[in-house]
Amino acid sequence: MKKFRILCDITCDLNEKFQKEFDIDVLSGHMTLPDKTEKVTYPKWVDTTAEKFYTDLKKDPNGYSTAPPNVAEFTEVFEKFVSEGCDVLTMTISGGMSGTFNFASKAREAVLEKHPDANIKVVDSRRFTTGFGLMAVNAAILRNEGKSMDEVAEYIENNKNRYHQAGWLDDLSFVAKKGRLTHSKAFFGKLAGIKPLGEFDYNGLTTVIGKAKGAKKAYPALLSYIGETIENPEEQIVFIAHTNRLPQAEQYKKMIEEKFHPKAIYINDVYPANGINIGPGLMAAYYFGKPISEGLKEETEIINKYLK
Amino acid sequence: MGTRKINGFHLKKMLENGLYLLQSHEDEINKLNVFPVPDGDTGTNMRLTLENGIRRSNDRSESGAFLKSLSAGMLLGARGNSGVILSQFFTGFFQELSHCNFIGPGELRNGLIRGYRIAYQSVINPVEGTILSVAREGIENIRTQIGRSTSIDTILSMYVAEMKKTLAYTPEMLAVLKEAGVVDSGAKGFICIFEGMLKYLYGEIVQPDTTASSQPDSKPELDFDLFNEYSDFDDGYCMEFILQLMVNPRYNQNFDIDKYIGALQNHGNSLVVVRDGKRVKVHIHTKKPSKIIEQSQRFGEFLTFKLENMQLQHNEHDIKARPKEHKELSIVSVVNGKGLKDLFTELGSDLIIDGGSTMNTSSQEFVEAFKELDADNIVVLPNNSNIILAAEQAAELSGLDNITVIKTKSFAEGYYALAMDDKFNSTPEERIEQMKSGMEDVVTLSQTVASRDYSYHEISCKKGEDIALINNELVCVSSDWLKAIVDGLRHVPDIEMMETLTVMRGDGISEEKSAELERAVNEEFPHLTVETIDGGQQIYHFIIGII
Repeated sequence: MKKFRILCDITCDLNEKFQKEFDIDVLSGHMTLPDKTEKVTYPKWVDTTAEKFYTDLKKDPNGYSTAPPNVAEFTEVFEKFVSEGCDVLTMTISGGMSGTFNFASKAREAVLEKHPDANIKVVDSRRFTTGFGLMAVNAAILRNEGKSMDEVAEYIENNKNRYHQAGWLDDLSFVAKKGRLTHSKAFFGKLAGIKPLGEFDYNGLTTVIGKAKGAKKAYPALLSYIGETIENPEEQIVFIAHTNRLPQAEQYKKMIEEKFHPKAIYINDVYPANGINIGPGLMAAYYFGKPISEGLKEETEIINKYLK
Repeated sequence: MGTRKINGFHLKKMLENGLYLLQSHEDEINKLNVFPVPDGDTGTNMRLTLENGIRRSNDRSESGAFLKSLSAGMLLGARGNSGVILSQFFTGFFQELSHCNFIGPGELRNGLIRGYRIAYQSVINPVEGTILSVAREGIENIRTQIGRSTSIDTILSMYVAEMKKTLAYTPEMLAVLKEAGVVDSGAKGFICIFEGMLKYLYGEIVQPDTTASSQPDSKPELDFDLFNEYSDFDDGYCMEFILQLMVNPRYNQNFDIDKYIGALQNHGNSLVVVRDGKRVKVHIHTKKPSKIIEQSQRFGEFLTFKLENMQLQHNEHDIKARPKEHKELSIVSVVNGKGLKDLFTELGSDLIIDGGSTMNTSSQEFVEAFKELDADNIVVLPNNSNIILAAEQAAELSGLDNITVIKTKSFAEGYYALAMDDKFNSTPEERIEQMKSGMEDVVTLSQTVASRDYSYHEISCKKGEDIALINNELVCVSSDWLKAIVDGLRHVPDIEMMETLTVMRGDGISEEKSAELERAVNEEFPHLTVETIDGGQQIYHFIIGII
């Protein structure tokens, strides 16, 4: 079978360690800093630390912005892979929040004109950050099991709505401002001590499905929620992503390990390409589970049952 | 021989005399208020309640008809707990005498009995050593001595004398009074009213205190943001003054009221000029105050002077009169301080009532607020224990059965009630539950400066000392505000299990001070997260919600 590459845009948040372990390629994006300089974004900390980055971001939330890789950048990397004789499975951030899927598709058309026999697929993950990253990791595992590119692409199309986020986002103003939150018109600033619990909707936008008063009330509700929505946890990889909330992420990891015994569980940073749009205060688990219902009706009911 | 029978006109005159006597003791009663912060407002609340009742009452000879209008007016104007209890007393009095044209000794006795009984019923947990006790014992101790020939003034004089005995005993009934070394303020106010009524029958007319308008009432401060450099200025100023005509030859001695009116009319409208000897009272709406001043100073000097920007008041009114939007659930919050008003609005309050510095919103203000809303359900967040009764009473008075009063006792509790409201995923019933659970288990720590010497259990403070209260109970005293708070936090039960402090910074408290507080908390309690809000509330320098 012909070898194929898995190419994700920067918003999958998979760092070099995961890229290497699962053989996934990540295409960089762009960001603008408060001093108006433009930088390339990598899934690693360049000239800063996670802590410093989120402290700076909090001070000047409007000073930072992000841009996805453009058509030319996709074209370049496609041509490189094609010239090496590889097929390419491209996964992008949700089309509900970014134009990346279109850029990749345009680049694919351009490359196919030059190389009619090239085999490039572009799929929309309908997720972002670690939810997207976990999907890419699972795609890589299927590839290792010997699945073809078409089979893996089909898997993604059929299962992307089963990728969950269970956690909180202390400060919703970032996702609200950047259009990554359902009900973004409502007040979603920071509520001291309140943990708004967010799940992905179909488009991968974060939707608040409940609120917990304090972390100590949030953890048990989230664990029960995962219990009702995860599938075969022992066979799953679970990711925990956080923006400057490492102690809580470690606590959460321990609880999830004890309760669900997943095959593996990793704590992952959220790098600037997503962090700028999420802001400090995210602490969530990402896992594969039951399909998410329309309008998150069932999920809202489940979490609120445990918040009482 | 004393008075045998009284009618509606007599009652009104008697009550007015009671009001004036109460008014003359208002400050004294306010100071009796045992709570150690300067929201001592029992006297003011009772005065405003009675004043509103009398103002709204009809001049009727039939006692029943007069009392009906009086008690309705008092209910609407009732402020604070003492005001609500007072209004309930008169509601009972009216219920007993609704069919009477004249009140004789038997009717008066029955009215006073019914009054205290209804007052007891209005309070969920009646506390002895308060208005309730004096009103009960006052009549119960003399009821058997009242016969068909007992005069009205004899009954009232016995009633007042008995009530005074009970008043002197209130510190024995209520420990908090004894510790503070005072008698109950509400009871004292209640007795003043009846004493004034009795004095009227004796021909002792109490003169109204004209300086009373300077008393603190809850008139909200104007929001200056409503008038800025771009505002229209069509309404002009409302100007009111009293001019003292002077005999010094420097002044024009030929004051002619008609000519004066003619001169003022050129510069404004809504003109009222009343001359009383050498004094002239003037009210005018004008865009050119200087012209009016110039005209007036030709003849004399101002005794009083008031100038208000009517455009600003107009704009305030416009905001209140914004069109109704139909909602499944609307929230009414009582708040004080600009920052807190903005915050509560942002968090989803549809209507904010300015509680003023003393937070003594009346039932009437609530009823009017309810009318502004078009909602299937209304939730009220009173945010102060003194307003809960008034809110509940308003809910009853409004005749609406869709009002829920969530008994938030502090801004911090109100904040967490709103913060937990999840309006997108929930039915109104669920939202009400969320708000109720949001306020539960919130510990409120507040810090201010004691307004008077005070002792409570083992703790005592002197006027001017920094004090910290947990859920309204004094827990520590210090000469240093920061120490008071940090010590206060140590008194919070299970502080090691808490996660977050929401700090509401008061009016005039600098950012540096709250940064200092944050540093101190981080040092003493590293597990706590501190969030600071510029609340702008009066009285309390800091209000801290702890969860």
